[in-house]
Amino acid sequence: MYVYDHYDHAIVKQRNAEFSDQVRRRLSGEITEDQFKPLRLMNGVYLQLHAYMLRVAVPYGVLSSRQVRKFAHIARTYDRGFGHFTTRQNIQFNWIKLAEVPAILDELAEVEMHAIQTSGNCIRNTTTDQFAGAAKDEIDDPRPWAELIRQWSTFHPEYAFLPRKFKIAITGATEDRAAVRVHDIGLQLTERGFDVYAGGGLGRTPAVAPLIKSGLPGEKLLSYLEACLRVYNRYGRRDNSYKARIKILVAALGAEEYARQVEAEWNALDQDAIDAPYAEIARIKSFFPAPAYKAEAFDQAAFDRAKAADSRFARWVRNNTLAHRNDDHISLTISLKPIGGVPGDASDAQMDVMADLADDYAYGELRVSHEQNIILPHVHRNDLYTIYQKLDAAGLGEANVAQITDMIACPGLDYCSLANARSIPLAQDISRRFEDAQLSDTIGELKIKISGCINACGHHHVGHIGILGVDKQGVEFYQILLGGRADEKAALGAITGKGLSAEDVPAAIERVVKLYLELRTDPSERFIDTLGRLGRDTFKEALHEPA
Amino acid sequence: MSQPNSASAPQLITAEGQVIANDWQLLADEDAIGADGAYVLTFKRALADLPTLNGRYGVRIEPGDDVRELIPYLDKIALVEVSFPGYRDGRGYSTARILKQNLGFTGPIRAVGDVLRDQAHYMLRCGFTELLLKDADPEGVIAWIKSLYQYSYQSAADAHKPVWALRHAKTEA
Repeated sequence: MYVYDHYDHAIVKQRNAEFSDQVRRRLSGEITEDQFKPLRLMNGVYLQLHAYMLRVAVPYGVLSSRQVRKFAHIARTYDRGFGHFTTRQNIQFNWIKLAEVPAILDELAEVEMHAIQTSGNCIRNTTTDQFAGAAKDEIDDPRPWAELIRQWSTFHPEYAFLPRKFKIAITGATEDRAAVRVHDIGLQLTERGFDVYAGGGLGRTPAVAPLIKSGLPGEKLLSYLEACLRVYNRYGRRDNSYKARIKILVAALGAEEYARQVEAEWNALDQDAIDAPYAEIARIKSFFPAPAYKAEAFDQAAFDRAKAADSRFARWVRNNTLAHRNDDHISLTISLKPIGGVPGDASDAQMDVMADLADDYAYGELRVSHEQNIILPHVHRNDLYTIYQKLDAAGLGEANVAQITDMIACPGLDYCSLANARSIPLAQDISRRFEDAQLSDTIGELKIKISGCINACGHHHVGHIGILGVDKQGVEFYQILLGGRADEKAALGAITGKGLSAEDVPAAIERVVKLYLELRTDPSERFIDTLGRLGRDTFKEALHEPA
Repeated sequence: MSQPNSASAPQLITAEGQVIANDWQLLADEDAIGADGAYVLTFKRALADLPTLNGRYGVRIEPGDDVRELIPYLDKIALVEVSFPGYRDGRGYSTARILKQNLGFTGPIRAVGDVLRDQAHYMLRCGFTELLLKDADPEGVIAWIKSLYQYSYQSAADAHKPVWALRHAKTEA
């Protein structure tokens, strides 16, 4: 993974010195909370319902074991013993004391981490495929490009006060696991360079991004992004924060006209001054070699014996692993969605376990997925059973990846000052309702995504089943959406009928699932496929009428 | 790291950290242009009057104005004031860069309005040469910024070389 040089270290250190001083001014009363707010937001510090929250950037979701151990230490020392992995592939600490934030930032800087641009109306952490560098279907590795963007966007002087936050996602694989078309800018690496999508997003006005440029050469990526941002900075709406994202501008201008303006601005820029030279791209790429794969033959017989002896292990292998480009290796997903648990949470002890496993069996590397799980991208298949047993002993052995209990949920009204409704308790109720492993396997792939308000941090629009919390005269209600998806066939779900109470949601989902099981042509037809074939109306009645 | 204290009276400061006097006067659209003196025209008035005016003037650009409309009159413009009615409106940063880097304007580019020390660094990088800063001890502000931001990752409109240029200059040497 990328390793800081003295320039990278100096930039983070400078920022920490500045922010420490801002915190000192706030604590001494030199500045008010109103004056402090924009300053702390520039550095990932939110004031939540009960405490300060610190959001730490995990650049493009890539972590070393040393960094994960540092998270464990921070959770133990400064928080209540856990951290929360987010849909932006970041981590949040929810119970932080403001006076301790400078110390935490200094601790993070020791392991080349920071909280820069994890909030505010600026360019946020670029996200990517959690299986980058490992997946079989990868055309080109997105991580070096994401690092190039990280550096270019860090303290970009022109784009620190955009109309609204700005999120870029990159994928280099044929299967889009990074949901690029629901981002402000989505980048798809192809053999001919980048395909650029602009103006996608969730929130109040969800949109699937149109293509604005294809075959952009990698060496021109930064100047082209600079032009995309300049047009947005100048012409994005600023009169209404709900209409300020780039998707509104692109929709208003039309994709063609936006692309034309970007092209004109791009041609007017001094591209050579902006675009890093090939030598720099090569330098960054050199930090992302394939691991030095263990040269040990895969022992199929031993693996089969372990699976036969331990059916839970067999299920875990089936659900939580993905084929690797090296046949002796595999990528595995550690589910942070235990039955009845809080989606995305990990305790300090669990983080230490994952870091140790990464060191012992996974070349020291981990990833965070936007689906709020942890990935060990490269493990030898001979080590799988040992890894599984250690994970299981730490409460990390859930075998539900991509299944109905592997839900995305935002923090909701339990933490967030914007939320209208709770998300976590509802996710927990649904999880318990579908805890039966056999039922879950029978259902197969089904993605539920829950947001506690219209800002859509839980990505409800792109859930196969999306759940949106709303507040109706002081009572929490939930609207159900059907048919969304965030993959390469990205589509937005539609609201079906009136809202349900929290108590009624799990039963309604159960009725929909039961109907799906009756109607699917065969077990290989996934929920989203059956829904696509028969239409939403078929399922709408099941949602709203008791069986 | 010591830092200047906040105060109310804005002071004009150059990118080098020197406090200077403001000789320019913003004219309301209905006011007549005097025989001598240094006047700043609103953007609307500049577009209307500059074609027929002799002499050189200042122009005030508001966030929604397109600086490129001034292209025909650049030789009559001695100063540009870019207005920040609120610090959260970042359009002025693009205005300054276009003015300096695309239009080749070489006169002073001044940030006015809600200009705070916490934005000063970004403004200097985007090509502003003067800031009407709301802080007391403005010399301290510039010194403070320069001490903090030794390196920048990206090129902009100032003299900072992007970090990639420093990296590769060094390996070639």
